[in-house]
Amino acid sequence: MSKQEMVLSSAVAKQYNAEKEPKGRSLWADGWRRLRKNRLAMLGLFIIVFMTFLAIFAPYVAPYDPIEQLIWTKGRAAKLASPSREHWFGTDLYGRDILSRVIYGTRISLTIAVAASVVSLVIGVSLGAVAGYYGGKVDDFISWLTNVIYAFPFLLFVLSIVAFRPASLTLVYIAIGFVSWPSIARVVRGQVLSIKETEFVEAARAVGASDFEIIFRHILPNVIAPVIVQVTLGMGSMIMTEASLTFLGFGTQPPTPSWGYMINQGREYLLSGQWWWSVFPGLAISLTVLGFNLLGDGLRDALDPRLNK
Amino acid sequence: MGRYVVRRLVGAIPVFIGVIVVVFILTTMVPGDPARIMAGQAGNPETIARIRKEMGLDDPLHIQMWNFFKSAVTFNLGRSYRNNMDVNEAILSRFPATFKLALAGMVIAIVLGMTSGIISAVKQYSVLDYTSMLLALVGISAPSFWIGLLFIYFFCVILRWIPGTGTGNGEFVYLILPALTLGIRPAALIARMTRSSMLEVIRQDYIRTAWAKGLGAKTVVLKHALKNAMIPVVTIVGVQMASLLSGVVLIEQVFQWPGVGRLFVEALTYRDFPIIRGEVLFLAGLFIISNLLVDLSYALFDPRIRYD
Amino acid sequence: MRRHIVLVLAVALALALMGGVAVAEQPKYGGIWKDALGANPPHLDPVFATDTTSAEVGYQIFETLVGLDPDGNVVPLLAESWEVHDGGTRFVFNLRKGVHFHATTEGGTPTANGGREVTAHDWVWTFNYICSPETNSPRAYFVDMIKGYEEYQSGKADRLAGVTALDDYTLQIETSYPFAPFIQVLTYNTFVVLPKEDIEKWGTADFNFHPVGTGPFKFEQWLQDEKIVLSRNENYWMKDEYGNQLPYLDGIEYRIIVDYTIEYTEYKLGNIYQSYVDTPYYEEAKSGAVGQFFERPQMGTYYYGFNVELEPFTDKRVRQAFNYAIDRETLIDIVLEGRASPAKGVLPPGMFGYNPDLEGYEYNPEKAKQLLAEAGYPNGLEVTLQYNTNLGHKRLAEALQAQFAQIGVKLNLRNVDWGVHLDTVERGEVPFFRMGWVVDYPDPDNFLYVLLHSDNIGPQGNYSRFNNPDFDALTEGARLEGDPEVRRHLYQLAEKIVVEEAPWLFIYHYVDHSLVKDFVRGYQLPAFGQYTNKFTKVWLDL
Repeated sequence: MSKQEMVLSSAVAKQYNAEKEPKGRSLWADGWRRLRKNRLAMLGLFIIVFMTFLAIFAPYVAPYDPIEQLIWTKGRAAKLASPSREHWFGTDLYGRDILSRVIYGTRISLTIAVAASVVSLVIGVSLGAVAGYYGGKVDDFISWLTNVIYAFPFLLFVLSIVAFRPASLTLVYIAIGFVSWPSIARVVRGQVLSIKETEFVEAARAVGASDFEIIFRHILPNVIAPVIVQVTLGMGSMIMTEASLTFLGFGTQPPTPSWGYMINQGREYLLSGQWWWSVFPGLAISLTVLGFNLLGDGLRDALDPRLNK
Repeated sequence: MGRYVVRRLVGAIPVFIGVIVVVFILTTMVPGDPARIMAGQAGNPETIARIRKEMGLDDPLHIQMWNFFKSAVTFNLGRSYRNNMDVNEAILSRFPATFKLALAGMVIAIVLGMTSGIISAVKQYSVLDYTSMLLALVGISAPSFWIGLLFIYFFCVILRWIPGTGTGNGEFVYLILPALTLGIRPAALIARMTRSSMLEVIRQDYIRTAWAKGLGAKTVVLKHALKNAMIPVVTIVGVQMASLLSGVVLIEQVFQWPGVGRLFVEALTYRDFPIIRGEVLFLAGLFIISNLLVDLSYALFDPRIRYD
Repeated sequence: MRRHIVLVLAVALALALMGGVAVAEQPKYGGIWKDALGANPPHLDPVFATDTTSAEVGYQIFETLVGLDPDGNVVPLLAESWEVHDGGTRFVFNLRKGVHFHATTEGGTPTANGGREVTAHDWVWTFNYICSPETNSPRAYFVDMIKGYEEYQSGKADRLAGVTALDDYTLQIETSYPFAPFIQVLTYNTFVVLPKEDIEKWGTADFNFHPVGTGPFKFEQWLQDEKIVLSRNENYWMKDEYGNQLPYLDGIEYRIIVDYTIEYTEYKLGNIYQSYVDTPYYEEAKSGAVGQFFERPQMGTYYYGFNVELEPFTDKRVRQAFNYAIDRETLIDIVLEGRASPAKGVLPPGMFGYNPDLEGYEYNPEKAKQLLAEAGYPNGLEVTLQYNTNLGHKRLAEALQAQFAQIGVKLNLRNVDWGVHLDTVERGEVPFFRMGWVVDYPDPDNFLYVLLHSDNIGPQGNYSRFNNPDFDALTEGARLEGDPEVRRHLYQLAEKIVVEEAPWLFIYHYVDHSLVKDFVRGYQLPAFGQYTNKFTKVWLDL
């Protein structure tokens, strides 16, 4: 997560702090109505749904097996074949179909985005909720931890975790998730701080509800909206981070069709004129990240009435 | 104001202590025995034992951490495993190149971002507006290293407008592509921010008054609207300066730029822990300081912010 | 049609070049040789240099007693001649007169030695310095057969007894036993003469950043990760055949370019005059359209090692099956663009003892499956290959994944950095690993004995932990044998055993390439690879 999103998220948090009244169903209904009117956001949603569809149905959509190497049977002709009717995106050095690899690559990118988000949600929501709810020393400690993680340039931190260990997808999303939780923790903390003083939480406390119950029943449901915005915006940069890692040669192992790795493999051939090996995966990354950014922006506007004039 | 500065500085100390602890954990809890790796092919057990002793690897962890802490705060992080260069010297000898690149990237980002942001705002819903906002979206979404590769392909190989990668002998022309690549993302963010805050200001009464008074469009835009739209833009510029310093890791790799980012990737490849530790501390320190400056400048630009 | 034009041009170029040699074009002085280095070199100090990038620069600044000609033969360098006495245990070197250390360096600053002449005493000092336990040179053990080495290393003696100066220009080295390839070992880039004064001035750690030697070029500047600049040594001892002072070039500028793609791009843009040719650019480079193309086999072998002590590779049939599973020809032809030669055994072509009639493994997946079934894996198996992080290694392993899949072997890949790779492989923890070996000195001893003799199991080089008494006896015998024909025979017998037992998956022998601009003259690609090149006689026809 870049500092940019951090600034935006604190802005989001501030606005939510402004409305002390927790909202129920109407917020979601209103939000969806506003979102539907936002054409760019709908485009973003469409891109993400499309990519998810490709990921799920990859075996049916992809024309070839993504790891099948045609050079061993078809020889030189199959190697780095330029885009044609048989291979829309061309083939790579081993005669693998790049379109199929790009399609299967959605699985890697979306897995990273989802799994890393889960990791950062688990850490971020629990730490943020605890910090906001209990305040005092606990809050100080967690805020300090957040600031420490923030102080690291994001990519450097992830690289330091990943570089010395054998490459695997699990390691990558844990590392990314582990570094991205502070932005979520901040949003949650801010929300909890403002909600816990409201009347209905006071009421729950008076009835004798436990802390645990109050946090989970009454406070967290109200935090969902800003967290969704945060997570959506974050997914784009998580995908970008995974691509950056694999581009630098860390984080993934052949024959996994990771987009960043494909760009890395294809770059040598890019400069000798076989542009398709690295251009198509690059486009795929851009499109997916664009989708998440558009949707994230749209969600922020839709779920935050104040910004909509 | 002075007290605010002092308080912020003091507040940064515990964060930096935490950073040191995390760096220690990141570079200590890794598989493999560094002493054996350092000893290399000719490493007999005695050599390895000696290296272990010299590096203090046989000490208990908390002693090692304390020693590392001491060496970190005294800027005495030892020498590179790989070529025996002093860590400070290794980093400081590369930093000017990185700083130059980051600065140039920022200048490009500000000029490009603000210009297109202003034009977009003034000519809202025009073709120009749509084009520049679309480009801004692409700029945020496309991987910078990939754009860099495409730039090299187009501008060096095909068009031959740029003589090559690296720094040349410091000629300006070598700076253009890497700085542009680095600047695209912040430029896009600045453009969007400028546009939205300009729009907000333009709609306000006093600007309408200015229009009504018959002031030229240029005067209105530049003198009145822009001045007030600057505050959020300044913040973004500062914030991006800090994140640029981590973006250079990728860009320096693509353009073979001899800066701290490339040193870091190289150190990772060779497990050069003193360099890795030094770099992370250095960049984290830089990060903390630039965040501080951002906050301070924000305070300067926006008189509504209180310092207590 | 186009191809014809290229061909005609290539022929014309070749003729022009040959003509140039015949009429002895008058060399032109001046110009800077612009080149690229594949990494920021870790060690310009030759005492610590173990990698090719460091050696590449070191060869210009420092000089050894004996050198190698472009074909890999030992030739005089700072020693004009030498005699071997006492059954190959005493070497007497007659040193060249008039060899001086660099008088100035780094922008004309005088060196501590002041440019004095090199004598036999400097060699004695240098050998003592290299082999000293305090210096802890990683390559000192290459000369551990020198008399008194053990005593000196363990601190029992205060000097290296086996190296003495008979007079100012005569150096004697004694070894504890006859070691046939000793003279070859002395060509290694660590065993150069060093100026005591400058090492004392800077100290062992910082001499690395201020190297001073006797070579054709002097150190000027090292901008970390950016470039290394060398200048002409105007007092260099060597003259060309017409008595002209060498070198011709005014200096050398090495750009540090850690990326073959960029290196090649920079070459084509004319910013550097020589480029490594990576696979994607091989075809274009070979066409001759972008410069003079050089190609020659390099004495080295690329292989995947099996740890014969770990399952499933304890079974010879599994190891053989793997060897039958890969189509080396297609692999080399397509994935490597033909820039390597298939390996039948251990020794690379061009090396003494290479056996052209050796029967290796052909591509036979059926046989591979059958062997696997016999070994108890009728349904295939799953193994993990560990390699050190590198795009080229990954590229090859990725191709072989598909090959192994054909015989029912699921090949997982695991990459680690070089330090960890070497460490875990040396300890015998890795069942299947990538390795490569390029000669340090051109003798089969450097391959067969170092890499496969049971005495060398572990860090010394026998990573497969191969242990075969017949093989051991043969290689030991060859080490002590003086008669070249007998040695050749012994090595060929030894290699046959290795092929049959298959402790390695033999893949390919390196072929080295280099591409230089058309205006470059006097350039040769050495048998040991571009990194061993010296630019003493190169000049630019600009």
